[in-house]
Amino acid sequence: MPGKTLLLSQRPGGLATFNIQDGFNEALLRGLQLGFLSDADYRSILQCENLADVKLNLQETDYGAYVGDVAQISPSIVREKALEKLVNEFNLLRANANQPLSQFLEFIRYDYMIDNVMLILKATLNNPNVDVASLIKQTHPLGQFEESVFNSICAFENSPKGYAELYQSVLIDTPIGPYFARFLQEESAKVSQDASYVQNLLEELPTTKLESSLRKLYLEDFLEFCQGLGGDTATIMTDVIKARADATAINITLNSFGTMLNDPNLRESERKPLYPSMGFLYPEGTDKLSQVGDEMELAAVLRTYQVYRGIFDKHQRGDKTIDDAFYEREVQLNEMAWEGQFHYAAYYSYVRLKEQEIRNLVWICECIVQRQKDRASDHFVPVFSREASYRKR
Amino acid sequence: MATLTPFFAPAGGGGFVNYTCYGTSNTPQGWDAGDWPDILLNISPYTWASLGIVMALSLSVLGAAWGIWITGSTLVGAAVKAPRIKSKNLVSVIFCEATAIFGVIIAIILQGKLSDISVGENDKAPSAICATLFYSGYSIFWAGFAVGATNLASGITVGISGSGCALADAQDPSLFVKILIVEIFGSALGIFGLIVGIIMTQNAQF
Repeated sequence: MPGKTLLLSQRPGGLATFNIQDGFNEALLRGLQLGFLSDADYRSILQCENLADVKLNLQETDYGAYVGDVAQISPSIVREKALEKLVNEFNLLRANANQPLSQFLEFIRYDYMIDNVMLILKATLNNPNVDVASLIKQTHPLGQFEESVFNSICAFENSPKGYAELYQSVLIDTPIGPYFARFLQEESAKVSQDASYVQNLLEELPTTKLESSLRKLYLEDFLEFCQGLGGDTATIMTDVIKARADATAINITLNSFGTMLNDPNLRESERKPLYPSMGFLYPEGTDKLSQVGDEMELAAVLRTYQVYRGIFDKHQRGDKTIDDAFYEREVQLNEMAWEGQFHYAAYYSYVRLKEQEIRNLVWICECIVQRQKDRASDHFVPVFSREASYRKR
Repeated sequence: MATLTPFFAPAGGGGFVNYTCYGTSNTPQGWDAGDWPDILLNISPYTWASLGIVMALSLSVLGAAWGIWITGSTLVGAAVKAPRIKSKNLVSVIFCEATAIFGVIIAIILQGKLSDISVGENDKAPSAICATLFYSGYSIFWAGFAVGATNLASGITVGISGSGCALADAQDPSLFVKILIVEIFGSALGIFGLIVGIIMTQNAQF
């Protein structure tokens, strides 16, 4: 793991020095912005009656080379091809990157590695005889491991011992191993205090707890790394990661209702440690979050935070799901992060915005297949759109 | 006051390359000959003038090179997805280059002022000539510095705005001319130094 302070020569620098290492690479990235679907592209895709028309429309865009030779098109193939394009672009940037940019790009991938490990773990826990090959197809290609790693994860046994084995035999060699090690360390420290609670908790909620902990450790580590980089990268990434940490904390609270984590005795000892120890809500907001027991109380806590009140209002009114409300906020932040020049945050926002574009595309395709085009705007968050709600104000 | 005599020429004025300035009148009142102000008196005005020429040229070239680096690396990267920008944006590189040319012009003008002086009787320059020599040396030195520093700043400025220009042009060609105007104003900073540098050395003559 990189240390807190980097030498001056290892930092990306500012206006006058950034281009020494990363000028070419950043310009490559900025060029890729041309590939985002425009409002006009979305409009013409939304008018399509079937997926063949969608394909025709996509051929006019930057996706042309990827969907061109597809014989049978379906939403999952659109996703696969769009991801393939994203990964190709990401690999181009990664191949041209020097330290510390290459480390920064790796950090972006860790996020998807955690997703993939959790995806496989959850599937295995639900159905031990699941088909591994089909699972691997569902994983995100940015967080790809070798196939043997995925196969080994499927051999996972749900017990505290199983976790230790999973770590020692599989994850120790992966970049996200250190997060897993720290998770196990913290758990084993708790086991010695109060064995029965933890035992129950691990049995009932193994994946929720593991996923939240890994994500928390990852975000904290990423933030520390970005702050070590200094300059605009630190300033912008701090805001972006903090906003994500808040979304994580609110989601953990919201998802805990009706589970063991919401038990008044466990709120403080088990739910609170899952909140990232940073963010705009931290520490007094997360303190209050750790006390709430239902949605009404959560709304009361969030009422004092203007941005999150707006997001939670949308959720409560039923205008949007909480996920979409947070996506909208994230797109807004990432578009702003894209504005400046001479910093790394643009790489992060590029990947996140592309992710959103792929979600949009897949959702619209789903709607067209299901013949429910009137629902297309439900989960649709346009990227770099002139018509975004926050631009109209 | 420490005496530096052993390191420098004998009391009462500088020992220049091929002549000596007159008498103790160069040493300020209250200072003994051989005290440290004599350091300045013992440095030949030719040294100052030459240093000025070096700085005018080298700082300008440094600024231009830095600017071309910033612009050039961005231009190459941005041209991958939008190849049409590549010839148009060479203008940014040329603007950076101009700052180096300003330095070259000034260096040539300044060095034209250097010439061997006519030496008085007994290889001693009269004190009036001495004053002119010092004036010329210092004015060329600081004129060179003024030109070098302004062109260094100007070169970096043009480089950064040129880099933005390449990126903007790749996204939206109509932005090119608008950002080019920013670059032109950045380039004007170097011309300010150029003009003042010429005026500063108008009366300098060896």
